[in-house]
Amino acid sequence: MDISKLKKRPSYPFETIAVAFAFSPRLENLLYEAKHYADTFKSNLLLIHAGEKDLKKEETFDTLFNQIGFNKVKTKVIWMNGDPTETILDLCKLNIVDLLILGALEKENLYKYYVGSIARNISRRAKCSVLLLTSPSVAPKKIKKVVINGTDNAKTVHTINTSIYFAKAEKIKELTIVQEIDMPTFTMTIAESSTNSEANKIKKDMLEEESQKLHHLIDKCDCPDISINIKTVNGKPGYAISNYAKTKNYDLLVINSPDSQLGFFDRIFTHDTEYILADLPCNLLIVHSRV
Amino acid sequence: MFKLNHTEFIGLLVAMGTMLILARLGSEFARKLRIPVVAGEIIVGVILGPSILGEFSSSVFDFLFPLKSNVGIALDGVTQLSAVLLLFISGMEVQMQMVLRQGKAAVYTSFLGMIVPFFIGWYFAFYFPNLFEMQFTGDEKFLFSLFMGTAMSISALPVIAKILMDTNLFRTKLGMVIIASAMLNDLVGWLIFSLIISLMGTGKSWSVILLDISIIIGYGVFMLTIGKKLIDKSLPWIQKKFSWPGGVLSLSLGVCFFSAALTERLGIHAVLGAFIAGIAIGDSVKLNEKAREIIHQFISNIFAPLFFVSIGLKINFIENFNLYITLIVLVIAYSGKLIGASLGAKLGGFSNKESLAVGFGLNARGAMEIILGTLALEAGLINEVIFVALVIMALITSITSGSALKWLANPREKVV
Repeated sequence: MDISKLKKRPSYPFETIAVAFAFSPRLENLLYEAKHYADTFKSNLLLIHAGEKDLKKEETFDTLFNQIGFNKVKTKVIWMNGDPTETILDLCKLNIVDLLILGALEKENLYKYYVGSIARNISRRAKCSVLLLTSPSVAPKKIKKVVINGTDNAKTVHTINTSIYFAKAEKIKELTIVQEIDMPTFTMTIAESSTNSEANKIKKDMLEEESQKLHHLIDKCDCPDISINIKTVNGKPGYAISNYAKTKNYDLLVINSPDSQLGFFDRIFTHDTEYILADLPCNLLIVHSRV
Repeated sequence: MFKLNHTEFIGLLVAMGTMLILARLGSEFARKLRIPVVAGEIIVGVILGPSILGEFSSSVFDFLFPLKSNVGIALDGVTQLSAVLLLFISGMEVQMQMVLRQGKAAVYTSFLGMIVPFFIGWYFAFYFPNLFEMQFTGDEKFLFSLFMGTAMSISALPVIAKILMDTNLFRTKLGMVIIASAMLNDLVGWLIFSLIISLMGTGKSWSVILLDISIIIGYGVFMLTIGKKLIDKSLPWIQKKFSWPGGVLSLSLGVCFFSAALTERLGIHAVLGAFIAGIAIGDSVKLNEKAREIIHQFISNIFAPLFFVSIGLKINFIENFNLYITLIVLVIAYSGKLIGASLGAKLGGFSNKESLAVGFGLNARGAMEIILGTLALEAGLINEVIFVALVIMALITSITSGSALKWLANPREKVV
């Protein structure tokens, strides 16, 4: 498969949005959400169905599609057979999808978590941005509160810019960027060999340094009409922001795509994105910056 | 029931009081000199012990530390407990996800930073045991060689983290790779040491050895998966419902002691159980940071000084100092770590200079080496001469690491 067109492709605008769905109680809700985003971003829409094609299903879908009112010129239905995860990932690459929308439960049971559900497996491996919707609705709820992970990473500037693009389209006036501060071994180190003031100074210097880095990063972003709030939370990367988004009732959490392909060991020794996927605090947008 | 009499009880209190106060003074002095506090504590032990005080005024030494009476047994219990608790807090700082996050740089550095010093240590001990002036019978040579390999490959996370903070390299890519590699080195090092302890005693068949290995790995896997999940589930409830910080302290130390007792019962060593319990508890995102701090403060400032001072009380450092063996241990220690860890860092994508800095960073052996040596001495794996050489090596590598890192690495390329 030629994926050269994907390389260096910017993470926005969302020219092509895909939604993957199967027969489920949330099917209709998910399709309404897909229409909402396709209309909002003026995107082409791919409706990818995981399952065998038959006449009865086709009729049901036609009725549903007409009821939802998809733009027929810009919408295409793809039926797929085979392993859902692999096929959806391949179809996204083949069709140069910019944003893949999936429905996801907030929390999987232990077995599913370790084995990996389709939505989460796709999120770990997709070469495009992925929007996981925890509570899709036939009347899509307006996203008002967005929190972005401001981790020090080359991808973050793209993630922030994509969030700004998203916010402008959704008419959101304010974004929050959260910086997670994790200092492994810090407690142990200061416990035996630092005075209280020394420990506070070390901590303060580190926080200041991190804050400067984030401000430097935001300076590179294009955000003239949007107000940006910066927050600092202590804790392990992934868990800290997930917990923050949950307790502060955010509607959407935006994060970078994983730096490396996440596997079984990453679920055993949970870290970063895996903390978020283990218990989704709200809707999740994973931005694949393709850099 | 065994009981200390009135005089012995007073003796124990005086001994512990003396150890704690003078250890504090020693560690403060070390802090002023910007050397690891463990060096100050060891020196206090040497001054108070048979090396100096015992030599010049044995009556004062016997009054302060009546080790030949039941006080010695009681103090031995305290120091054994201290070793268990020290390994527990060391485990609490091991985060396997750090290794995964730092990717191939940490894996290469850690792997080669262990394999190369292990091999060099093992090779010299096995093929040139005369260098260490050791006499062996039966399997002793093999176990001694395995131990020397382990002793050369271990790193000391607390000292390394402190050095990185002092050199402003803590939150750099280089610093994080050193920390992640030290964590993995510690984990593997203690697993190997536990295996060596379980192999002690002659005539173990391969099936028994394989069973020992399976038990060690199986226990580690159980605690880091199911055990960790159970801790994750219970910690929030305990922190919310039980008194603070009593609830979480009791639970943490209770799990530590049960785990230590279990591994000791399985014929491994109590410290491994404590270390693994530490990883399972410390790795939990649900552990309140304040609780972590309290546990660290409690153990680092009470049990650690008692442990390190007690080393000097038991051994005559002057009598057992052998310059020739100490130099050999130093050369093996430096060459193994510098070659292995630097090569690993180079393969992980660092420049030559940065790779050498990683090598020096991981070369700091600090308290971990001293605990390992103490346990090996108690188990009869090494003699006092080798032990003294290991302690000196641990201190010299820790002191030189900071200067070398300052010289070689620039605090740039910061990461979160």
